[in-house]
Amino acid sequence: MTIYLVVPLLVIGAVLQATIVPHLTIGGVFADLPLLIVVSWSLLRGAREGVVWGFIAGLAVDLLSGAPFGAATLSLIAVGFLSRVGEGTVFGTRVVLLLVTTFLATIVYDLVFLLIVQISGQTVAWLGSLLRVILPSAALNAVLSPIIFGMMRWLYTRLGREGMEL
Amino acid sequence: MGRERLQNLVPVLLILLALIGFVLDRAGLLQPIGDLLARGTTPLQEAMNLIVSQVGELTQTARDLRDLRQRNRELEAQNASLLLENVRLREVETEATLLRDLLDFSQVYPSFDIRGAHVVGRVIGRDPSNLQRYITLDVGREDGIVRNMPVVTNRGLVGRISEVGDGWSRVLLITDVSSLVNALTQSTRASGLIQGQADGSLMMRDIPQEDVASVGDTVFTSGLGGDFPRQILIGQITKVERKDYELYQVATVQPTVDFDHLEVVLVITGFEPIEETTEDPSGNGQ
Repeated sequence: MTIYLVVPLLVIGAVLQATIVPHLTIGGVFADLPLLIVVSWSLLRGAREGVVWGFIAGLAVDLLSGAPFGAATLSLIAVGFLSRVGEGTVFGTRVVLLLVTTFLATIVYDLVFLLIVQISGQTVAWLGSLLRVILPSAALNAVLSPIIFGMMRWLYTRLGREGMEL
Repeated sequence: MGRERLQNLVPVLLILLALIGFVLDRAGLLQPIGDLLARGTTPLQEAMNLIVSQVGELTQTARDLRDLRQRNRELEAQNASLLLENVRLREVETEATLLRDLLDFSQVYPSFDIRGAHVVGRVIGRDPSNLQRYITLDVGREDGIVRNMPVVTNRGLVGRISEVGDGWSRVLLITDVSSLVNALTQSTRASGLIQGQADGSLMMRDIPQEDVASVGDTVFTSGLGGDFPRQILIGQITKVERKDYELYQVATVQPTVDFDHLEVVLVITGFEPIEETTEDPSGNGQ
């Protein structure tokens, strides 16, 4: 998939995340669409592309967020990089791996995010955030990951086999 | 081989770019770029918001259901208005009683009530993260908005302006962990700090042991610190935790504002807040 498609896709994902997704809360938390897209693409195409997708998605999220600039970008780069654990193995029946990768990726994303927020001088409630926000949202993202992964796989089979031109 | 090596360097370069962006943002040098990009994303957010509201309307197919909802809304608005009026009257009564006991009340109660213009802003976006609680408004510098201005609705305090662009602004909600507001209970005048919690609820902390905080009491801004006008409604105490060995009491507060359904807010432009608001000295959000 070319960069000309990746950027609009991820920007639209970030705008949806800042407008519609927060209205769809379950148990007080909402899904993280850009994170789900980056994890799915990393699993399909490997860490190298996952990192680039994480960078672009993170920039878009940072522009729409009140958090310090770079918090989402660095967190999503980490997610894109670390999702290589399950790289190329999710096709077929290994759904459990997708669920586990997404669950762990959400925790990594949120912890890196909070670390950057704290470095920038803002107050962070580590334990409260972990118990009341991070773990529930990790579970929600994991449950939703097969849907987003299915969409990204469809996109990959239709458009992305030639890889992304850097 | 060279291309392979270059591709291996990509993650490092991207991390470096992100770090440079972080540093430039801290130095305030990204503001012009942010403004420029926000010009593109703000209409997109507005359009998305419009779609959300229109889709919401479409789902209300039954006419009688819509009428009921309308009637319910009217009653809720009326109820909110009466609640506010009632609370204000009680506040006036309490204050009058207090003032009778004070000789030099003018020093203790400077005329600091809400005055000046209000700017009505529509909520066009929310923070993309579960961990932060901000909203984005469609009013900005061009409308006279500056940092730290208080934001309210008819039901009470919403937050303060944390970032301003030409045609947009971002509001740090009082439910965010990094938000602190000096507060006072209505009937017993117990003072404390309202802090947001990770799950979006509110806690009133640092209530002195000798003060009486009781369940059901209404909580207002105290005006201390000069970051918010006084007497803005915040919420109602639902639980009080008092331990003899602790220096302070802690209370759980139910906010009067429905933060999940904010659509239109008021920015108080007639109030001049102190530039840096209260900081959390302990850094102990829960």
